[in-house]
Amino acid sequence: MLLAALVLLAACSNSDPGTEEEPFDTAGPGVFVLCEGNFNAGNATLSYYDPDSHTVENAVFYRANDRRLGDTGQSITLHSGTAYIAVENSGIIWAIDATTFRVRGQLTTGQTQHMTNPRYIHFVSDTRAYVTDLYAPYITVFNPQTMEYCASIATEQPAAYGYCSTEHLVQYGTEVFTNCWSYSNKLLVVDTQHEVVTDSICLSSWQPKSMVLDARGKLWVVTDGGYATDEDSFSDNIPHLYRIDAATHTIEMDQALDTDEGSVELATSPDGTVLYLINNDVYRMDITASHVPVRPFITAERGNNGLRHKLYGIGVNPANGELYIADAVDYSQAGIVRRYTADGTLIDQFRVGINPNGFAFK
Amino acid sequence: MCRYHVITLSRYYDGAFGAWRLLFLLLLLPSFVHCQSLTDMHEVQVSAARRLSDTGIQQTTLDTAVLHRNVAMSMSDILTQHSSLFIKSYGRATESTAEFRGTSPAHTQVLWNGMHINSPMLGTVDFSTIPAYFVDEATLLHGASSLAATGGGLGGAVVLSTSPVRQHGLSAQYIQGVGSYTTFDQFLRLTYGNSRWSNSTRVGYATSAGDFHYTNYDKKVDVRDADGNITSSYHPTEHNRSGYFHDLHALHESYYDTPHAGRIGLAAWFTHSLRGLPFLSVDYRDDADFTNEHQQDAIRAVAMWQHSPAATWSLDVRGGYAWQDIAYDYYTHRSGDARNIITQSQSYSQQAFVQAKADFMPAADWLLSARLGATYNHVRSYDRTPFHIGDNYNRGRMEGALSLSAKYRVTRRLALSAILREELYATDLVPLIPALFADYSIVSSTKTQLIAKASVARNYRYPTMDDLYFQPGGNPDLRPERGFTYDGGLELRHHDKAFGIEANVSAFDSHISDWILWTPNVHGFWQPANIKRVHNYGIEATASPSLTLPRGWKADVTVNYAYTPSINRSDDLDDADTSRGKQLVYVPLHSANATAALSWKSWTLRYLWHSYSERFTTTSNDVSRITGRLKPYYMSDVMLEKDFQLRRTHIALKGVVYNLLDSEYVTVLSRPMPGRHFEVFAEIRL
Repeated sequence: MLLAALVLLAACSNSDPGTEEEPFDTAGPGVFVLCEGNFNAGNATLSYYDPDSHTVENAVFYRANDRRLGDTGQSITLHSGTAYIAVENSGIIWAIDATTFRVRGQLTTGQTQHMTNPRYIHFVSDTRAYVTDLYAPYITVFNPQTMEYCASIATEQPAAYGYCSTEHLVQYGTEVFTNCWSYSNKLLVVDTQHEVVTDSICLSSWQPKSMVLDARGKLWVVTDGGYATDEDSFSDNIPHLYRIDAATHTIEMDQALDTDEGSVELATSPDGTVLYLINNDVYRMDITASHVPVRPFITAERGNNGLRHKLYGIGVNPANGELYIADAVDYSQAGIVRRYTADGTLIDQFRVGINPNGFAFK
Repeated sequence: MCRYHVITLSRYYDGAFGAWRLLFLLLLLPSFVHCQSLTDMHEVQVSAARRLSDTGIQQTTLDTAVLHRNVAMSMSDILTQHSSLFIKSYGRATESTAEFRGTSPAHTQVLWNGMHINSPMLGTVDFSTIPAYFVDEATLLHGASSLAATGGGLGGAVVLSTSPVRQHGLSAQYIQGVGSYTTFDQFLRLTYGNSRWSNSTRVGYATSAGDFHYTNYDKKVDVRDADGNITSSYHPTEHNRSGYFHDLHALHESYYDTPHAGRIGLAAWFTHSLRGLPFLSVDYRDDADFTNEHQQDAIRAVAMWQHSPAATWSLDVRGGYAWQDIAYDYYTHRSGDARNIITQSQSYSQQAFVQAKADFMPAADWLLSARLGATYNHVRSYDRTPFHIGDNYNRGRMEGALSLSAKYRVTRRLALSAILREELYATDLVPLIPALFADYSIVSSTKTQLIAKASVARNYRYPTMDDLYFQPGGNPDLRPERGFTYDGGLELRHHDKAFGIEANVSAFDSHISDWILWTPNVHGFWQPANIKRVHNYGIEATASPSLTLPRGWKADVTVNYAYTPSINRSDDLDDADTSRGKQLVYVPLHSANATAALSWKSWTLRYLWHSYSERFTTTSNDVSRITGRLKPYYMSDVMLEKDFQLRRTHIALKGVVYNLLDSEYVTVLSRPMPGRHFEVFAEIRL
């Protein structure tokens, strides 16, 4: 009897043999929340939030396509009704229909010449998109309509050991700026007409982490300052905020920020006149201001033990200026997204996947 | 009900019946342990006498027959199939760690011939790097019982040892295994001995491509028509990429029994291992473009002197040295591109230790022991990663331990034991570690022993060198983890002429505070902190009945079961944290395994089964997310052996079917496991 029970138990399938593909039809406004997952676990997911009904659907990529998103979802960008998702440690960029969430196509490392770990995507035109990379010293160019590889732009930076990754992409006129986060203090300038790196901007602080462009054509860049401990250091662990004139490539402002451990991230209001900065708490400043305000705009909540919520990402809805702040909790459970009005009033909060880090607004 | 079983069993002793019915019957044998009606069987003397040194100790002993059953098996496989420990592994020759009673791998202390082999950097042991054929005895000390051997085992300890072969003259043993996925296992052992000397040299070499095929349910391929419309889709069949390994081990032992000064011995073990790190099932990159591998070279050597100058006292003095070089390389080598090194890390560790142990019996009912040891660890850890370049740290640390114990047989039935242990790490003394043990003999007849055991202990685990010094991230302000555990149980031994059984059941309750946990910070690296409190409790049970039947038949069954709630009792990080009160990540609530063997003359058929209940992958145990849990895990292997004796030559042939029922399963997220596969072995002994 016991043997029979053992054999019956052993005959069961112990893996997930796939599910039926679920139909979605999400016409109207919505918010994609990309959840990075845990490195090497393959548990990145995509959530979709309906701001009108205040409802969230989790793991929609899996449910719509019966396949997993991959390992370490890095960024999501919407363009012409398609959401492009760079999944860094899977070496893939997914293109999915923004309404049905069904896969329209993908670009894998094997289709390209140099792409290794894709990070962020920027659309220069309807047929030309740039992809930054954590390890490869190239920006990959592909056609977002056909998901075919086009070319690679050499960054001319040292590549080994993870030096000089390329991160965010911001366009001003015919120039695209990218920040080199890993062990670097540089911004690179790419001429989109000739697709070559034409200039670089050196910062006084290391590891530029996030970059946005404001309404006046100024680049705002925040560094994480590397790290520093009693026994070892790479830079000084002091984040800096910079304002750089995109036309002249000159640094106009350099402000050191608090060194308290915290994520640093930037976003702008829809009209580009207000800057939002995550540095433990959320700060809000006019782009004409000369320094970051002392008091936060939104204070990260603290638990009973006094520990502060871990703010992991920020998104601003271009339609109404509402803020979406991602909270990673303990990095190993479903994170929370809090939705605020443009004046900082909490509207809603909802659970998503593990380590929410990016937003895209439909 | 019991009487019915016994009568039925007795009837079948005299009759022949099908092997399947016998196996069926044997699997029911654990239910007989409570029966009192086996008196019609012939009584024989119980061979294992109750030892004062084992007072109150909860242990599982794996003997040579179990350890040397399959040359392809590592200690990871043995512990999976023959113990209640949870082994977290994702296939042969991949990192495999052992968790006692729902604790972490660093809470399992491992000794080899008296020397700690836990990594001084990580505190863990990769059991896949210990071939079971290189171990002669393995003892698992559960919970507080680990203090009989070492400190820091908040979950328990695994004590591995080699032992001299008692023989005269030269002998040789060679085993060749050939298996699926271009797997080859070679093992050679030469032994020489006389009345004083015992020498043994073992060499094992295992290679495999590890490129098994599996249906990848994490991916799906769309088939599109000329207009780009999806016409169909399917889950692709893929092969395990970068699953190759080359493992070489060599072990030499020499023992010499002096005429008047006891035994001296030396054991030296060399390892060279090169292993690919398999790609995730969700990785779309081409394995031809990437190398991701782990290389390890290690030498461990222990010299020992054991002497009993008088019947009342004995000495055991040993010293050893270990050197380890571990490298991890991850780089791209795409066609037309220069090699791009992504991660290149290397660590060198050296360890030297000395230890002296003295046992003294001032009276027949007293046993006093003292153990004094010192270990020096030195680690140079070097990294070239996106998060660090240069020495992570280059440090040495002196460690010392003094343990005193007294065991006293109060009455013929009752024995008590106490241990006091003090440990020193660099200049830090951990608080005094006390432990109390008791056992009471409920039944003690010539053929049956039933003993009740109990223990209570406080224990500490000092932070590892990575915890303290690793740059970036190391936290020099960490406190030792603190454990308090108590347990109680019953141990049964019964040996009759035809039937024997050894069984053990114990319940435990353990609280660990200041649990050290590494969590990511915003700069892209991880940092440890004393942030967790965990409550572990549960039940462990083992039963090993055996039956000798007429006409050359013999049957054995071993069943292990563990119920291990391992609950996070930490304060909430914040009001969004829902991990409090939840089972720890990847710790199964239930684990079980069973081995059934049926022998007839020189044939043996063996069936191995093990199972883990669902495991959660998030601290909140949320199963609504697609990857929130791993389904229960059931696995069956079967092996058939045949021995031939040709004059002085012994030949054995063995065939093994792994994953007999061809289950599709994962043991770790995104890590597929192989389906049904095979290996055959030929062994010759001269």
